[in-house]
Amino acid sequence: MQTQSRKSRIPKMAYATITAIALTLSLGACSSQSSKTVTIATHDSFLIPDALINQFKKETGYSIEGVKVGDAGELTNKLVLTKDAPIADAFFGIDNTFAGVASKNGIVDGSMSKIDYADVCFNYDRNWFAANGVAAPTSWQQLTDARYKNLTVVENPATSSTGLAFLFSTVAKLGEPEWQTWWKKMFANGMKVEAGWEQAYYVDFSGSAGHGQYPIVLSYSSSPADEVGKDGLSRTVSINHDCFRQIEYTGVLKNAKNPTGARALVEFLKSKAFQSSVAENMYVYPVDATVALPDAWAKFAPASKSFVNVSKLPFDEKRATWLDQWSKLAGQ
Amino acid sequence: MLKRIALWLLPIIVIGTLFYWPMSNVLGRGLTGDWFAVLSEGNVASAIWFTVWQAGASVLLCLLIGLPAAYVLYRRAVPGGRALRALITVPFALPTIVTAIGFTVFQKQNVHHPGSGIGTWITSPIFWILAAHLFVNFSVIVRTVGSSWANLSLDTEEAAALGGAGRFRIFWSITRPQLMPAIVSASATVFMYCAGSYGLILVLGGGNVNSIETEIAMAANQRLDLQEAGALAIFQTVLSIAAFALSATGARSRIGFEAHDNLSRQPRLDRRDWPAIVVTGLALLLVVAPIYEIVDRSFANDDGSYTFKNYLDLGGHGARNLLNITLEQAALNSLRNVAVATLLAVIIGTLVAYLLSRQAKSKHVRLANRIMDVAFMLPLGVSTIVLGFGYLMTFGSGLLPLRTSWVIVPLIQGLMALPLVVRIIYPALATISEELGEQASTDGASALSTFLRIELPLVRDSIGAAIGYAAIISVGEFGAASILAYGSQATLPTVLYQLISRPGGNNYGMAMAMSAAVILVTFAVVFAASLPSRSRRLRRRHRVASR
Repeated sequence: MQTQSRKSRIPKMAYATITAIALTLSLGACSSQSSKTVTIATHDSFLIPDALINQFKKETGYSIEGVKVGDAGELTNKLVLTKDAPIADAFFGIDNTFAGVASKNGIVDGSMSKIDYADVCFNYDRNWFAANGVAAPTSWQQLTDARYKNLTVVENPATSSTGLAFLFSTVAKLGEPEWQTWWKKMFANGMKVEAGWEQAYYVDFSGSAGHGQYPIVLSYSSSPADEVGKDGLSRTVSINHDCFRQIEYTGVLKNAKNPTGARALVEFLKSKAFQSSVAENMYVYPVDATVALPDAWAKFAPASKSFVNVSKLPFDEKRATWLDQWSKLAGQ
Repeated sequence: MLKRIALWLLPIIVIGTLFYWPMSNVLGRGLTGDWFAVLSEGNVASAIWFTVWQAGASVLLCLLIGLPAAYVLYRRAVPGGRALRALITVPFALPTIVTAIGFTVFQKQNVHHPGSGIGTWITSPIFWILAAHLFVNFSVIVRTVGSSWANLSLDTEEAAALGGAGRFRIFWSITRPQLMPAIVSASATVFMYCAGSYGLILVLGGGNVNSIETEIAMAANQRLDLQEAGALAIFQTVLSIAAFALSATGARSRIGFEAHDNLSRQPRLDRRDWPAIVVTGLALLLVVAPIYEIVDRSFANDDGSYTFKNYLDLGGHGARNLLNITLEQAALNSLRNVAVATLLAVIIGTLVAYLLSRQAKSKHVRLANRIMDVAFMLPLGVSTIVLGFGYLMTFGSGLLPLRTSWVIVPLIQGLMALPLVVRIIYPALATISEELGEQASTDGASALSTFLRIELPLVRDSIGAAIGYAAIISVGEFGAASILAYGSQATLPTVLYQLISRPGGNNYGMAMAMSAAVILVTFAVVFAASLPSRSRRLRRRHRVASR
């Protein structure tokens, strides 16, 4: 009797545990989303108003589930790393600096569609320059000047797509190896480097909510539209000279669980309804030129007319090298 | 015998699948490339150098503060000693991301106007990284060394004191040699934690300072360079396993929450202890300051006035709809992960501890046990980032496509807790199995009923401690979750990281409010755990009665 129970009870317990674990695993592995949901992977700055989410649901029957995964670079790379079983059906926010990575790794089903663009330019705090009697800069090339010592904050190109866009601008405009010399001068001139745009703009920049210590920040030509004070004037000015035009794309992901829903969502992002929301919500310009911009934009946030020509820049082949060289300059 | 082998099967399958398989993938990826060339690249070499020196410096700082504090809190009778000992444990139990958030407050306050020349060293992220490592880890030194110290005989010291030797000379020539194993072990443990630190360096370094861990994440996340990530992973694994091996040789002491009944019998503090008292005071200040800052900031408006707004915002998605899920949902995810991870770690860990504690009659069995012991210890020496990328490569598709499921996060967290669970329960079971096991089996009881009815109740305290440690690991784990938990599966630490790395609007205030709430819960749990448990009280009473 005793031996009988000893023999049978222990394996039983082991079996029970194995079964319990196997059940948990299979339950988790099999729980797929309902086909009435379409998931979209985006960068952290993506914003779609609730009204549009509801409109999309009314028109197509699909609910939208957003998955934010860092900046444009992180988004692209995470989609590459997970391409066998994608984390979403569609994506938004891969930009022209990373589009090559996306197509080389074959993560997109079909083609990518342009949705919006933004111009990466420096902004300055108007009041600071007025109060301190310093002439405001008119191009980023001047920022190495001793007048602007300890005044500039930029984003790290290794962790921020804004920073990366500007690194590319310096390479394209100044060429090898002068771009490195310029950055060396910037570091020597007390430039601060932050990991992300939000820290640089909202915390360090003196012209925005954080009232930080730096009156010059690497941001966008559209940012002054968000700094309009009670006097109807913007506290900040964008230096629209030699900017970088960042273009953002959307598309359907290969191996998507819900490709039909993803295609519907991509079409919706191209529609007038969504296009007219991007300026107000994401501070970017819609690709649909027929869509009107908010009033303040014409005055304070026109798109730049002066760009660095980056069309010949081999982003994908040289990105790692340039980042490496930049990091070395930063470490000195 | 056969039965024992059958019982080993389950833990072996678990650790094989959840540890050795993904590890072989990630290390294999590193070895396929020219990994020596990768390791000599500029940014890689400087990340390795920074990792080693900051971990070494952190250990020295922890010893400097930790040894005097161990003396005061464990070798001397201090009023409120139990509460103070619990207090210094709080930083260790806090999720590292909360600690990082606390130190960003200091970092912000100490940004003097650039160029003024004041406090440039204090604006360096490295200073704050070291301070945060000290905050988190000095209690490891205090507790490990303190436990040994409390059990040293007082006789020699008293004799030396009568002979006219000063406190410091007594410490240096009599106490220090006896404490050496504990000091070495604790130092190696702290080194391992600091070398594997990810969230703190990511947040406080702000991308400008990189360790091996952040460099692995950067290589994979920002440059898609898995070869470099793999090569760094090999180096990181060798480094931390070496530190871990050193820590394991030093002390065979049990780990667990407070269990010292003899502390009240230590001598009182006297005037000559003042240097140690001053350092201990500094240590307590160090613990309280960042916690105070977080709580203070959590009630602060942008303009400096006080408000509950940050707490009321916690139900939302943050400024610019940053969060995929609310903090409430993230907290529920974390709780679910804790439940699954703890269950996995404690069930498998207890089974392994049980099997290891059985008496080995032959040389072969002893050797096999030794191998198993090491095999189940190794995950302790592997960083969460390395393992996280292993999971990403292994469970994305193929045999077990678990990556798309929420279980992947609690599975990896449970695996990380497993070695600690074994380390806590095994010594407790080993001491009783010898006496009890034989006696009971001669009485004809089955192995299972002996285990369930006699052994398990006796090691109840250890199992409680194991559950506590497993839960702490799961709640605070950030590196692996940041790689594996997407969208609606976000955990509390990953959501807190999103908030602190994307300030502006109410995001900063929300990070403070949520961190303050986490601190409150941690305090409650740590202090509750430091109270004498019912069984321990009963046992003590029993001991007194039978005397």
